Amino acid sequence: MVENMELVFDREANRRERLWFVRYYTDWVRKVPNRVWSREQAKFIDSLILNSRNFYLSPEEYLKMKENGSQVKKKR
Amino acid sequence: MKIEYTQDTISIEDKVISALDRFVLDFIHLLEKYTDYVIVSGYVPILFGRSRGTEDIDILIKRFDEDVFTQFYDLLIKKGYYFLNPEDSHGLYEMLCECLGIRAAKEDTIIPNVELKFVKNDLDDFSIGKKIKVMLSDKKYLFISPIELEIPYKLYLGSDKDIEDAVYLWGIFKDKIDLNILNRFMKKLNVDGREHGIGI
Repeated sequence: MVENMELVFDREANRRERLWFVRYYTDWVRKVPNRVWSREQAKFIDSLILNSRNFYLSPEEYLKMKENGSQVKKKR
Repeated sequence: MKIEYTQDTISIEDKVISALDRFVLDFIHLLEKYTDYVIVSGYVPILFGRSRGTEDIDILIKRFDEDVFTQFYDLLIKKGYYFLNPEDSHGLYEMLCECLGIRAAKEDTIIPNVELKFVKNDLDDFSIGKKIKVMLSDKKYLFISPIELEIPYKLYLGSDKDIEDAVYLWGIFKDKIDLNILNRFMKKLNVDGREHGIGI
């Protein structure tokens, strides 16, 4: 069944859509007072930090994951 | 967004401080007692409002002696941090000297964490030499790499997330930054932002 499923994900379209959103969001940030955009952003980031308490990797596993990632990424 | 931008300072009044901002500010409050530093990469666009999280904060630091590092290490431990790397203080210092990153987080957590690296090349020297002081409310401040370098560097890294970061920073700072410096780094890193409307 899985073999017969059509792959409909269009990576390029997804990339364009994300970039469109970044520009849209940038315009909004530029228009509103600092307290407005930063309050929305803080709510979002605080929820991510709260959720990170559920992170299940050990420090060793996390470092291994980062090490593998950095081998495929140019980094400072 | 209201920001005041000068050659070496950016002021953002009334920014609501997130848990991530607090983590960074607390850490650099300890770090700056021992060495010059500059924050680079993903946290820079986040500081100015980009709507994404990050696991780690990349910080470049000026080289310093091992005994100074040992004092810094002891202070971090005393203040409730730990290093994710299993090495002891001496081993961590050796890693820094080998231009490897070392990661510190608050006890019993992994995310967020700070990745510290010694400066190692001309670009790093520029970042720390021309660092920008970002003033937040309540006299809080931190130092970031110049935006004119961050945008080309993000394009150079080239992942979808990095390009989105570059587009965001450009959108926020395009009428404030020095385009000559930006274009010099574009050339040095052999990247072209025109596809994304950057640098025109």
